[in-house]
Amino acid sequence: MSLPLPGPGSDPAAEPEAWGRLLELAREESADHLLLRHLVEMWARTSGARGVALYLEQGELLRREAAIGDEFPSILERDDVANGAAGTVPLPGGALVVEPPEAAAAAAGAAAQLTLLLGAAATNRRLKQQIKAERFQVNYRIVELEALYDVGLAVAGTLDRERLAEEVLMRAISLLDARRAALYLIENGCYRLDRAFGGAAAAEVAVADPELGRFLAGEGPAPAALLPGARYAIGVPIQVEAGPRGFLAVGDKETRRGLAPFPEGDRRILVLFATQAALALENVRLHQQALETERMAREMELAAEIQRLILPTGAPPVPGYSLFGWNRPARQVGGDYFDLLSLPGGQVGLAVGDVSGKGVPAALMVSTLHSALRLLLDRFPPGPELVEALSAHVLASSAPSKYITLLLAELDPGSGALRYVNAGHNPGLLLRRDGEVELLDACGLPVGLLPGSRYQARAVVLARGDLLCLYSDGITECLSPEDEEFGADRLAALLAEHRDLPLAELVEAIDGATGAFGAGTPQGDDQTLVLLRREEEA
Amino acid sequence: MTNHPTVTADRRDGLAVIYTKGYINNQAGEEIARVAYVLIDEGHKALLLNLEGTTIVNSIGISILIEIIEKMIEIGGRLAFCRLTPTIDKTFHIMGLTQYAPIYGDEATAVAALRG
Repeated sequence: MSLPLPGPGSDPAAEPEAWGRLLELAREESADHLLLRHLVEMWARTSGARGVALYLEQGELLRREAAIGDEFPSILERDDVANGAAGTVPLPGGALVVEPPEAAAAAAGAAAQLTLLLGAAATNRRLKQQIKAERFQVNYRIVELEALYDVGLAVAGTLDRERLAEEVLMRAISLLDARRAALYLIENGCYRLDRAFGGAAAAEVAVADPELGRFLAGEGPAPAALLPGARYAIGVPIQVEAGPRGFLAVGDKETRRGLAPFPEGDRRILVLFATQAALALENVRLHQQALETERMAREMELAAEIQRLILPTGAPPVPGYSLFGWNRPARQVGGDYFDLLSLPGGQVGLAVGDVSGKGVPAALMVSTLHSALRLLLDRFPPGPELVEALSAHVLASSAPSKYITLLLAELDPGSGALRYVNAGHNPGLLLRRDGEVELLDACGLPVGLLPGSRYQARAVVLARGDLLCLYSDGITECLSPEDEEFGADRLAALLAEHRDLPLAELVEAIDGATGAFGAGTPQGDDQTLVLLRREEEA
Repeated sequence: MTNHPTVTADRRDGLAVIYTKGYINNQAGEEIARVAYVLIDEGHKALLLNLEGTTIVNSIGISILIEIIEKMIEIGGRLAFCRLTPTIDKTFHIMGLTQYAPIYGDEATAVAALRG
């Protein structure tokens, strides 16, 4: 914008248009800078100075506002224009710097009135700048509050952990005018660096590091390795009611003149921000945990389904006999196993096993047992040789101290001969027609317990009316509220009492009796029953 | 992540687009101002700041942007912003920058508005 300016020593009456434009500028809200420039130019013409610059106070410094000539720096120290400095004309809240210095004398002579006018305009400009700076600060406080509010909103709105962590870090930097920052989150009992901005940061810090503790409490400097090279740093914990979740460290506060320490107010803002961030991050963590739990539940359900497919759903038909198998795991999946098999030559195979331990590890071993047994049955008849091979396989393919008790039997339906190997399993109960109970005792160690285990086969003959019960210890070790075991005697008595019932109903009777015995005590172990009865009539 | 601000300019017949990358802080703000003042000295009276590459800005960066806006007003020119993240958009509104420098969603619209 170019204006005709009043000339040196100009009389307003003589140059009404030029003075009128100058007054217009003075009245215009946003033209104060332009007005100052013109007044400085008039001052230079009036005084005959080669160059004139107007400086206004800004904090501890003086900033060049307008200048005629290019020999003036943009910033001056206060000392540069202190009282009596050559070539300077003091103004309210600033100064004129004049070249050559002797031209400054015009301030008391030809340019006296202009100097007063310039002083008034400079004061006006300075006050406007001050209002603007204060408005800026107020607005930036609103930005800070918005940032706190936004992170609070993220509690409900963001379940993307990566996005949230990035947002938390970036907003912390922006809020505090920091040059760098790092976000740490607890992982396996250690603060691990989640992300950093503006410079390197330590990969991890011990939760119990005393230096870090003092730093986060605002009572000490940052550990040297935390933000290497940072001149200033503050940190605050990210914690929820349950305990610490991580911490935020920001470094090197920026000002227009370089880096500066963080004032105490910044710590308060960061604490507020970290409180909001903690809630948001915890919300995401709990959401992820819920997803993981759901995923595991789905996987467990799948595992249970697989196990249900492993166990037989019915028994092969055996003329002259009733055969029934039943299993109920204590958890979703279990470590009990049973199988009912049609073997070559009309023989029938029976197997009941119990893996040490419970849950998923035991279920995995059940799976191993099932596949190994089925494969070995192609090579061996159900006898000692097969169990020895099975033991070697289980020993080689399972963790140490894992083993399986197993009762494997082969029935010749025609003769009633039952040949069995009991590898450390509960003795089977053979209830004779006359009420006598015979035990199918163990004749070897559990499979997979020791290398080179040897087994022997034993045999009994089932007469008409005889009832065989193979079971797992989940039946006999079922506990009453007084911690008394159900026991093999009660099982044998039940078998005797209900010996003529259809086998499915007999299982129901046993289940009912153990349930009543437990009187609401949760099932502590997997339960399995295999019942075989030689009927009176063929 | 480190912050290496880069500022580039694309001159288009009296109008110039300034592209920024990284954190607009003191350092990057000064660089934007330097580039803007060069463009102004070259006679560009319409400047567009495309902040597509910027996701973070601090108060010092904002104060420098305000100075550039004031400079543009002083010379009777126009300045606009485009491609702001929602957070920066909100910050500029609160800080009053949008009273003097409009914000556009994309560069083509902003260029058309500045030329219009």
